[in-house]
Amino acid sequence: MQKPLQQIVAENPYVPMPVEVIKIITEVDSKDIKTFRLAFVNKEDEERFKYIPGQFAELSLFGKGESPIGIASSPTQKGYIEFTVQKAGVVTSALHEMEEGTLMGVRGPLGNSWPIEFLEGKNIVIVGGGFAFTTLRSLINYMIFEENRKRFGKITVVYGARSPGLLLYKDELEAWGKRGDIDLNVTVDKGDSTWKGREGFVPTVCKEVAPSKENAVTVICGPPIMIRFTLPVFFDLGFSKENIITSLEMRMKCGIGKCGRCNVGSKYVCKDGPVFSLAELDKLTKEY
Amino acid sequence: MEKKLLKKDKLSGIVKKLAAEKTVYAPVKDEDNVLFKILEPGMEPLTSFANTKNAPKKVFFPHSELLMKYTRSPKGMVFAAMPADAEEFVLFGARPCDARSVALLDMLFDQEKWKDPYYIEKRKKGTVISLACVHPPYSTCFCTSVDGSPTSTQGADLMLTDLGENYLVEFLTPKGEALAPWFGEATAADAAAEAKKQAIAEQSAAEIKKKIPGRAIKPILDVSFEHPFWDTIAGKCLACGTCTYVCPTCHCFDISDEIKGDDGARIRNWDSCMFPLFTKETSGHNPRTSQKQRWRQRLMHKFKYYVDNFDAIACVGCGRCVMSCPVNIDIRKIVEDISKL
Ligand SMILES: Cc1cc2nc3c(=O)[nH]c(=O)nc-3n(C[C@H](O)[C@H](O)[C@H](O)COP(=O)(O)OP(=O)(O)OC[C@H]3O[C@@H](n4cnc5c(N)ncnc54)[C@H](O)[C@@H]3O)c2cc1C
Ligand code: SF4
Ligand code: SF4
Ligand code: FES
Repeated sequence: MQKPLQQIVAENPYVPMPVEVIKIITEVDSKDIKTFRLAFVNKEDEERFKYIPGQFAELSLFGKGESPIGIASSPTQKGYIEFTVQKAGVVTSALHEMEEGTLMGVRGPLGNSWPIEFLEGKNIVIVGGGFAFTTLRSLINYMIFEENRKRFGKITVVYGARSPGLLLYKDELEAWGKRGDIDLNVTVDKGDSTWKGREGFVPTVCKEVAPSKENAVTVICGPPIMIRFTLPVFFDLGFSKENIITSLEMRMKCGIGKCGRCNVGSKYVCKDGPVFSLAELDKLTKEY
Repeated sequence: MEKKLLKKDKLSGIVKKLAAEKTVYAPVKDEDNVLFKILEPGMEPLTSFANTKNAPKKVFFPHSELLMKYTRSPKGMVFAAMPADAEEFVLFGARPCDARSVALLDMLFDQEKWKDPYYIEKRKKGTVISLACVHPPYSTCFCTSVDGSPTSTQGADLMLTDLGENYLVEFLTPKGEALAPWFGEATAADAAAEAKKQAIAEQSAAEIKKKIPGRAIKPILDVSFEHPFWDTIAGKCLACGTCTYVCPTCHCFDISDEIKGDDGARIRNWDSCMFPLFTKETSGHNPRTSQKQRWRQRLMHKFKYYVDNFDAIACVGCGRCVMSCPVNIDIRKIVEDISKL
């Protein structure tokens, strides 16, 4: 006798929960980054999928495979979860071909998360570049949620993309800009005729914004090159390695520390990460 | 823990009787090799052999394993079915090193937070009968250097030790005791048998002349990730992956999808950290681009990372990788060299 799927899912971390794609948003003018809004087919699964910003999930397309993708929505948004995916190989291309109404699967939530308790009561500096902004968006939406806002101090955001058309979540950026309780700094490497905002690279903008290190934590995510040039800015501002947090990426399969694929030293990025402080990364090998 | 004595000529019959009732994996002759196979009527289980060519880990963690099935629906591919639950089985004739490897794999697959239901299901249903090594079978054996011994009971439910005319039968776990009815002809073991087994254990361990500093290299590995030594070890390595496939403790796998018409399967297959594509990301970025890095990973995983995570060395000293490597790379030599860094 086959058990009901909800029970199998509860007992077996390899079996994805069924979800329906309820909305697809093309985020960028190059059309290769889309946000997928997924709703759980079974109510029990929605309750089981309790996540914290910074976690990820395996998006599962039967017949194609699975891809680990950061959760882009915030747990304060009810009724659905969102993922922002760049078209890359087999699974992500198949995702990009999908239409609203399609059924697919999700395994998770996986990994640790942004260290919410550690961030509480502190001033938070968010630095994001390119499409790695997804789990930072989750964190921002979590922190500015009405009931949560007072648990965090000043929120400063520096977010950059190569061009205005490559910025994600444009409506949200606009809405955040209108709030008085986020210092939002959106920048593009090079503007266009309609761009009225800031131009400049993320490291430079961080230097100009110069957030205070007092009681502050920086959460940074972006392409390696951006990280490489931005970290010195924060060291110069006096941020300690304990107070700079980032998220790693490694090729993954199981997502639960079994398949042996994603280790950095003794740690598995899928299970012990993907979030680490620079101080923690210093203790690991430099093979990622 | 009960111990009994069984006349040696009775054993093969008992194993065959077991095989008539449930699946029994046993060492059998296959051309020039000894392999673990399902014992079919007419097949003779070996009770006296060196060791099998491949490790028996496949009975708990198959080379290729169905994870789930799915099927086409009007709204896309959807889950269809799980593989059938495992049936009770017996793994007969595992050497103590291979039985220990199962205890080591338990640490990974049966963790507190994430459990591997496929592996755990087979572990629950499988009973391990080990055959102690009265003499270490190969010159490449080094179990005593990695926390094991030729008579280790770790991972076994029942162990047999050849005392000459009789086997000492040790029922080690409730699963082992559940096999007692099959050993009805066995008689109570006396103190003399016990003493004899003790002497055999000491003698056999002493026969393993090769000693390598298994635990001792851990503090060295802790600080030598960047050491130039690693440049010297992998020069000849072909990245063929043989060492990881024959290894009883290697557990890396890949997950892939196969589809035929409207039906498909998600399966997992053994993979190897020795393969260049193992860590390659879609972007083209690969954290381990050289065979040096991959060999370092394999060695570190066994002698440092597993120790960090589980306080156990992920090598049981079976020597299979040493015997199978086409270019004679010897993990024992590498460990010795590291101890001198
Ligand atoms: C923690 C984490 C969060 C991520 N978040 C996002 C995100 O929010 N948006 C996004 O677009 N991408 C994200 N990625 C990268 C994304 O996982 C890969 O781009 C994707 O797996 C490529 O899959 P594919 O099937 O299209 O490529 P293929 O090359 O056809 O597939 C190879 C398979 O290898 C694995 N794989 C290949 N590259 C990677 C990689 N870089 N990371 C992990 N597994 C990989 C996957 O299992 C993948 O299915 C994230 C990666 C990690 C590890
Ligand atoms: S590393 Fe080699 S000697 Fe050690 S358990 Fe694996 S195959 Fe046997
Ligand atoms: S068996 Fe030898 S050649 Fe093949 S991957 Fe292992 S070390 Fe390299
Ligand atoms: S993805 Fe399998 S161990 Fe991390």
